[in-house]
Amino acid sequence: MALAAEAFMTQLAAAEPWPENAALYQQLKDEQILLSDNASSLAVQAFLQMCNLPVRVVCRANAEYMSPSGKVPFIHVGNQVVSELGPIVQFVKAKGHSLSDGLDEVQKAEMKAYMELVNNMLLTAELYLQWCDDVTVEEVLEDVDQCCQALSQRLGTQPYFFNKQCKGLTFQYRRLVPKIRPTELDALVFGHLFTILTTQLTSDELSEKVKNYSNLIAFCRRIEQQYFEGHDKDSSSSATSRSAKRSLLR
Amino acid sequence: MAAPMELSCWGGGWGLPSVHPESLTVMAYAKFSGAPLTVNAINNCWRAPKGEVPILISEDTVISQPAKILNFLRKQKYNADYELSAKQGADTLAYIALLEEKLLPALLHTFWVEAENYCSVTKPWFASRIPFPLSLYLPGKMSREALNRILLTRGGPPLYSLTEVEAQIYRDAKECLNLLSKRLGTSQFFFGNRPSTLDAFVFGFLAPLYKVCFPRVQLQEHLKQLPNLCRFCDDILSCYFRLAVSDPALIISLQMDDNLRKSPQHPPRKLTTLKLAAGGEESSPLNRLSP
Repeated sequence: MALAAEAFMTQLAAAEPWPENAALYQQLKDEQILLSDNASSLAVQAFLQMCNLPVRVVCRANAEYMSPSGKVPFIHVGNQVVSELGPIVQFVKAKGHSLSDGLDEVQKAEMKAYMELVNNMLLTAELYLQWCDDVTVEEVLEDVDQCCQALSQRLGTQPYFFNKQCKGLTFQYRRLVPKIRPTELDALVFGHLFTILTTQLTSDELSEKVKNYSNLIAFCRRIEQQYFEGHDKDSSSSATSRSAKRSLLR
Repeated sequence: MAAPMELSCWGGGWGLPSVHPESLTVMAYAKFSGAPLTVNAINNCWRAPKGEVPILISEDTVISQPAKILNFLRKQKYNADYELSAKQGADTLAYIALLEEKLLPALLHTFWVEAENYCSVTKPWFASRIPFPLSLYLPGKMSREALNRILLTRGGPPLYSLTEVEAQIYRDAKECLNLLSKRLGTSQFFFGNRPSTLDAFVFGFLAPLYKVCFPRVQLQEHLKQLPNLCRFCDDILSCYFRLAVSDPALIISLQMDDNLRKSPQHPPRKLTTLKLAAGGEESSPLNRLSP
């Protein structure tokens, strides 16, 4: 977006608080949506849940055409429409909600770098698998493995990628402990890994690669439980209603 | 002992051993890991470059692309990342992805797409090192490939015009430079006191931007405002690509005048009294600077 338009949008965004009727649009669940689009949509949903911003998911066959950039998902908030994770994070920040405010400059740099890694490797792999044959599938799988290895090593035994403590306490393991919040990197990684693990593809090679890393699986399970279970009201559009039907994350 | 290895790549200028980012990355890694490479800069009398440059040739193996070349060197036990932890290795991958996504498009644009830069600097430089008649065709082809790469990766909706794409990629590049500067801080290298793969990639991408004299220099101006990144490039140049000196005052005196650096006809002064133990081939890329 041109600089002037962006500044204008930020001002508009800041003017109003988050409404109750915010909606996220994506393509139809089982028949239409692509692997990569599903991952992107899930990432945005996870991000909004982590920010505690309510949004209902609406599935439309013409979602791509409604989107201002042609990419899904997009959110309709008040009278503004914003698409893709990057601009949505900015938009939400303009409204005063941010997950990465508590990080210092070096951590923010690291977070951006890891988000690029995920976009570079996992998104490319998903796009590749959707559209191409298995001619150079070995190279793609190796890239995915490298990316997962990097993510797994970075995550280690921590709950999230950045474990900045923030205000407030939470009850965990029978005692009060400081709250640790996830960031947009966690949302992005969750979106992609969960999609890869739970979508039926012609071959299981991609999900097998991810399953080699137990801490990544535990990470997905944790985010699913914390942010998606209990929001299953609209069963046709909830991300995790499908998981009930599949043998997920074994 | 490993078989002899030869690297063919684009040559140097403006005080750099190579003006081509990928070539420079591989050369830097070889210096850091102590790999003995014979560097052959492509010049007029040599065979025309086919396919991708840089290329590593070792006995019968021919390898292209910096990542694959570095992997090969590591397998030959020339490993600059030996002391890195698993997390640092992961960070390396992430930062390289950042460089390729956010900085490379603007770098390609500055060299190959920006009309004034391309016509007055890039095209003549490359054309003079490619044999006729390829010199009439190859630079144009490289320029079109650079533009394609930029448009393919960054030119999607809602950016429809080249000017909007340009504005976006330069903004991303400046942000990337800021992030790198914050990550480097006051350390000498990105992971402690020894240079690693990430330092090779950052150096490979930044040094040409820093040193090559272009008429249109918005990204270079931005880089010059980040003194720790400039110091990072200068340190590597003076420690690994010239004779190493332990006296900091001598390091400063080795930093040449900007005017001298502009002209590739003036090779840097060589200090014959101080020699780096492992630095036999420093002189060879420098020798090729004179016509």
